[in-house]
Amino acid sequence: MKIPYSWLKEIVDTRLTPPQVQEALTMAGVEVSSCRFLGEGFESVVTARILEMRPHPDADRLSLCKVTDGSTIYGIVCGAKNMKPGDAVALAKIGARLPNGMEIRKAKIRGQASEGMLCSEQEMKLAESSAGIMILPADTAPGMPLADALGLSDWLLEVEITPNRGDCLSVLGVAREVASITGEKAVLPEVPLREEGEPIGGLVRIDVSDPDLCPRYTARVVTGVTIAPSPDWMRRRLALCGIRPINNIVDITNYLLLELGQPMHAFDLDRLRGPRIDVRAPKESLAFTTLDGSERSIEPGMLLIRDAVGPVAIAGVMGGANSEVVDGTTRVLFESAHFAPSSIRRTARRLGLSSESSYRFERGVDPAGTAYAADRAVSLLSRFAAVSVAKGTIDVGGERVTPRKVGFRPERATRVMGREYAPEACREIFRRLSFPLVTSGPGSWDVTVPTHRFDIEREIDLVEEVARLSGYDTIPTTYPESKAPDFSEDDRFVDLQERAFDFLRARGFSQAVNFSFVSGRTWERLGEVLGFDPADAVRLKNPISDETTLMRPHLLTGLLSNVADNVHRFVDDVRLYESGKAYGTSYVDGHFEEPRLGLILSGKRLPGDWSGANAPADFFDMKGIVEPLLLHLCASPVHVVPTRTRPFFEEGKSADILRAGEVVGWFGAVRRELLASFELTGAVFYGEIRLREATASSSPPGQYRVLPKFPPVFRDVACVFPIGVPVGDVLAMVRAVSPEVEESSVFDVFTGEKIGDGNKSVGIRVKLQPLDRTLTDAEVHSIHSKIVKLLENRFGGKIRTS
Amino acid sequence: MPETSSLIARLREEGLAAIAAARNESDLLDAKGRFFGKKGAVSGILKGVAGLPVEERKAVGERANRVRGELESAFDSRLAEIREKERVAREGRDRLDVTLPGRGPIPGHRHPVSQTMSDIISVFRRLGFSVQGGPDVEKDYYNFEALNFPPEHPARDMQDTFYVESAGGDLVLRTHTSPIQIRTMERMKPPVRIIAPGTVYRSDSDITHSPMFHQVEGLAVDRNITMADLKGLLTEFCRMTFGPGKPLRFRPSYFPFTEPSAEVDIQCVICGGSGCRVCKESGWLEILGAGMVDPSVFGFVGYDAEEYTGFAFGMGVERIAMLRHGISDIRLFFDNDIRFLSQF
Repeated sequence: MKIPYSWLKEIVDTRLTPPQVQEALTMAGVEVSSCRFLGEGFESVVTARILEMRPHPDADRLSLCKVTDGSTIYGIVCGAKNMKPGDAVALAKIGARLPNGMEIRKAKIRGQASEGMLCSEQEMKLAESSAGIMILPADTAPGMPLADALGLSDWLLEVEITPNRGDCLSVLGVAREVASITGEKAVLPEVPLREEGEPIGGLVRIDVSDPDLCPRYTARVVTGVTIAPSPDWMRRRLALCGIRPINNIVDITNYLLLELGQPMHAFDLDRLRGPRIDVRAPKESLAFTTLDGSERSIEPGMLLIRDAVGPVAIAGVMGGANSEVVDGTTRVLFESAHFAPSSIRRTARRLGLSSESSYRFERGVDPAGTAYAADRAVSLLSRFAAVSVAKGTIDVGGERVTPRKVGFRPERATRVMGREYAPEACREIFRRLSFPLVTSGPGSWDVTVPTHRFDIEREIDLVEEVARLSGYDTIPTTYPESKAPDFSEDDRFVDLQERAFDFLRARGFSQAVNFSFVSGRTWERLGEVLGFDPADAVRLKNPISDETTLMRPHLLTGLLSNVADNVHRFVDDVRLYESGKAYGTSYVDGHFEEPRLGLILSGKRLPGDWSGANAPADFFDMKGIVEPLLLHLCASPVHVVPTRTRPFFEEGKSADILRAGEVVGWFGAVRRELLASFELTGAVFYGEIRLREATASSSPPGQYRVLPKFPPVFRDVACVFPIGVPVGDVLAMVRAVSPEVEESSVFDVFTGEKIGDGNKSVGIRVKLQPLDRTLTDAEVHSIHSKIVKLLENRFGGKIRTS
Repeated sequence: MPETSSLIARLREEGLAAIAAARNESDLLDAKGRFFGKKGAVSGILKGVAGLPVEERKAVGERANRVRGELESAFDSRLAEIREKERVAREGRDRLDVTLPGRGPIPGHRHPVSQTMSDIISVFRRLGFSVQGGPDVEKDYYNFEALNFPPEHPARDMQDTFYVESAGGDLVLRTHTSPIQIRTMERMKPPVRIIAPGTVYRSDSDITHSPMFHQVEGLAVDRNITMADLKGLLTEFCRMTFGPGKPLRFRPSYFPFTEPSAEVDIQCVICGGSGCRVCKESGWLEILGAGMVDPSVFGFVGYDAEEYTGFAFGMGVERIAMLRHGISDIRLFFDNDIRFLSQF
């Protein structure tokens, strides 16, 4: 909210300068985000009058003007055409530095000397653009500082009001804050009234049928009105605060909205049928046209102002086109009411219609202030317009307004804040706040809270008042008592992630962070390839764009588009990982989310290598990261089995990772169709690990076994298998042949013509390690024969002899 | 006799010349064999001394022995020379270019937001806090209601919320990590000391707002927790995160779930407090929100607000990462441009 300092000073005659007000309010919890002098750049600009004007001898578009500031005559070359002799204008003298940064120097323009410049509104930053120079009101005296002439010798404070402090959405509210800080007094303007008209009761009848939604409704009437523009000072203040001046009646309601925080509405009394007003919520839906010309669908329960026939305004939100003040209006009813905050908020939200008025009612408007605002409206109007004020006020529900009493113990403030607050210091703060109090028991008080402070209902709210007005800087810094911290499951998980990140970083992977939401359109288009069932998706009701409509079912598309983006920026070797959640629907809780670790790899096996290891990465590079990573994280082995159920992988080039029978991850070559839709041509390998499941149980500590004292024996076997034989199974069964087989490993795999189509040659090395003796040749031979028999009989292998 | 003498002299000349001319060890051994090895010419003369007339024996023997000595020492020094030369040559050939890159992957990079988050977590874990997580897709009750944002309360406007399609219609993407406070207190009795990191979502997007970002929340509840303790803890946190000598400022503010509430500003890390564009000329940067747990929040989780007090605080990780690394556009964090990531 914008507040001119001069307006603030009218209510609290503070000794603080505007920057001091900014600091004091900010440190008391009413943040002043900016505080600027409006006349900045106006220092050497004065009002002047044009004495004569003639064309420039050498330039058609320029004129030569003689202007006076009352004491000196200046010759000015001017490019504008919108002025004439006698006009009052703004003269920037030599040396002026204008708000738009322009510096005025003595100059010769096409041979003619110019001793200054006539300014436009744009140059003074008073308007976005301007057609010519600024023409001031004809009665402007020459020689005044322009800032004074425009009422800009003032400061504008911009105040950020938190939702609990609806009472500060006005000049009065902010003035009260200043007073509470400084101990000065906030004083309401006097409202002299001459009620010369008829009694109001004879002019209109007012009923409130829904007093819960409208606890108080106050009205005043003026007659003999002539609709005209408001005085300049009022128009200027409204404009400074961001409200467009309209006419003398509407401007007054807006002016008081800003000054007092009381939203008001002006009805043309002659357009109210009856004439009467009834405040009630309809039981059926209906259509109603608000004064902005839009037709609104009113639902049952939305509070309306009705006349004898139908609705004339949506209470607290916006008036109706059928009853608003128009040019011919002569009799006006000013409404100054209090509406229940939640009702106004519900209505404004349903209608998608937020106004200055609804904004304030939602946050709480002082129910005690309605009558004063109505008086101030007619009093202010009679100051500058010849109107007749009807006798009396209609005030429905005024007797119901009572201030709240809240208990307070100074000791409680001390306990919560961790510093001593002496009872005397608390008393002084409540005095400044104008919160009267009485002692209600030993160390406890009953504090009476004025009706404008909606936010104060409980003791803790008073504790906050004491703390903030004493200053948070007076709170010491201590340290909370502590016991040994817990070590939670999530602590373990955080550590686990850190270990994974370190491992991957050492393997050349960088960390990516993608949005958890993805484009539903992309996922639906690629549904078949992504293995995506739209029914499983968690969807947003109000996405911010097409790119963020559903929560990702897995992490692949984010990382894949990161690869594509990097490749398109000429970074070809991309290794990225991301730790984030995947989401889906579930029958149990409606949805589930699960932490995953996604890995993506494309480009060379060993980027930057010069020694022959820079071939393109393949499936086994990915496997060579995923498997050791899992071992690194939880030390218990996993099984890798072929998968056919993940359509985003190339058939026959992907695997599931099993741990204790559960699928804890998968990896493989990303399917070509998917790569094509991301405009990728090279192979990309992807892996995703269900982090919690993959690391669910930690293995028990390793148990020592006696180290062998006898030498091992190594045997190599080369064997040709049909190509479909899984070598992993072969190795496992070789290990099971005899207890002496300690290790079996592959040292070579190849295919080719030499061994026949559909075959592969596998070189297997076996390590035989006896524990209690040296193996004899006969024993070695016997184990070797068993292995050969296994390879031949079980796997259809043929031993190669070289 | 004169013939023998001149023969010895000649052999000496030739021997020395052959040794000097040897290019390698085998040339040298060859020369040794020819002149003073077991079957060499000088050795031959010495063997023949016994057959000489007595008067000549001594002179010839002495002369031949002297020459052999001379040749032997010439041989030794030439051998040393040749070996040294060969060693130098070999070393030149076998020398490695140690400036070539090593073999193996070039380490990758941590994402600056993730790194900042880890750093924040580890500071608070050192200060005695334990990690707690919670769901991203959250019930309205946990995200708002139990945090004292009643339905139809304007405080809900403080956070632009993403709503999730669901049967009950009560799911949102959490707008802050504060729901974890409620979930934790529902499960545990005081004392509570947790730190809750996580991803949060708000429907807002520009150079300082991202629809998804990260927060870290903290909560401590016990019998004697005070706002002074909160100040002490956060002062320590800022010292550990931004380094010593950076003043902090606690300003009253408003959050529905804390009262009294505070916003914490640190002296601008860019200009040191003199005013710049980053701090909007104020000299201060807002880095976190905090306050004493509101008694109505205790009401929702069944804690006795007379017996227990607590504090809570929360901070945006991206904001802190931006300040630490001098990043001005939040969107850079989510582009995953390797040229960006490799700067950290």
